[in-house]
Amino acid sequence: MSNALWLAVLASAAGTLLMRLLPLLWMRRRLARLDGDERLDAMPQWLSILGPMMIAAVLGVSLVPATNDATSWLATAIGVAATLVVWWRMRSLGWPIAAGVAAYGAVVVLIALATP
Amino acid sequence: MSQATQPLPRPWLTGLRDATPLLGGYVPVAISFGLIATQAGFSTWEAMLISTLLYAGASQFLFVGMVAAGSPLWLVVAMTLLINARHVVYAPNIAPWLTTSRTWPWLMHGLTDQIFALAHSRLPQMPAERRLGWFTSAALLAWLSWIAGTALGAVAGEELTRRWPLLGEVMPFALPALFLVLVAPRFTSRRWSLALGSSIAMALLLTLAGLTNAAIPLAAAGGAVCFYMVKSRVPASGERHE
Repeated sequence: MSNALWLAVLASAAGTLLMRLLPLLWMRRRLARLDGDERLDAMPQWLSILGPMMIAAVLGVSLVPATNDATSWLATAIGVAATLVVWWRMRSLGWPIAAGVAAYGAVVVLIALATP
Repeated sequence: MSQATQPLPRPWLTGLRDATPLLGGYVPVAISFGLIATQAGFSTWEAMLISTLLYAGASQFLFVGMVAAGSPLWLVVAMTLLINARHVVYAPNIAPWLTTSRTWPWLMHGLTDQIFALAHSRLPQMPAERRLGWFTSAALLAWLSWIAGTALGAVAGEELTRRWPLLGEVMPFALPALFLVLVAPRFTSRRWSLALGSSIAMALLLTLAGLTNAAIPLAAAGGAVCFYMVKSRVPASGERHE
């Protein structure tokens, strides 16, 4: 890589780190002025709503399969259903994901076997 | 805070266990990044260094793609930072659960979309003294898997995708499954359900429309707007604000 390209990598990396880090320092200063239960109210309400919305949005983006065909969408739908059913029964983190991936994989494999 | 009826596993072990599903998504995507970076003319070490320092999935693909296309470097940096701007809201959202340790700010390098989603759900559930160990191991596992996956993709990406095409197709489903498990408990009221549901739907549609990079901030903002609209329409429903 050329020196200019290295500089671009470093600038992008430093900028990204600062965007992850500086808001923490800002929020910590805000929190330091408060204590106890007040601390949880220190965050502006819109910010506390945006957090879960970001996670929901990341879910929406990740639901779109890499190959946009009927098989992938069917596998996604069944994988989602399997994940939710196991989550509903167990309320844990690991097993629902394992069940979802297994169900997704089973659909992909079965359809691959069924198509000549 | 802790019930202390039986000894809990070490915090770092819990962190490793909780972050393990992330590998299903990180490793295949990192492998494809390694592959694309080398195809774009970067060496294995350079691809690994980008994954180590930049450590932000979508923007890394954009970075190497724009460089390979000969875009001006200032524009490459600007676009990379623009895509990563969504990270700004993550740290404040977990800050109330972070302890006073001076290590925390440095750990924010590992605050990706996925680690944020995991931490936002798990940190409030654990005693304060366990959080640093938990976060450190979860974030480190994700980071190292991303770097290792990049190396693997750069060295043997073509061979791997040829030999096990199915594995690369199935494992990434671990990511949506993980987010699903993280989002599902938040469907606590009609208001939250509508807002979260619309955020998911908008992100999905925007991604289908080819706007993957804009999808997360736009859909999140749309979901938040929906949250406030439901409140103004149903003023006396007695729902909680959070």
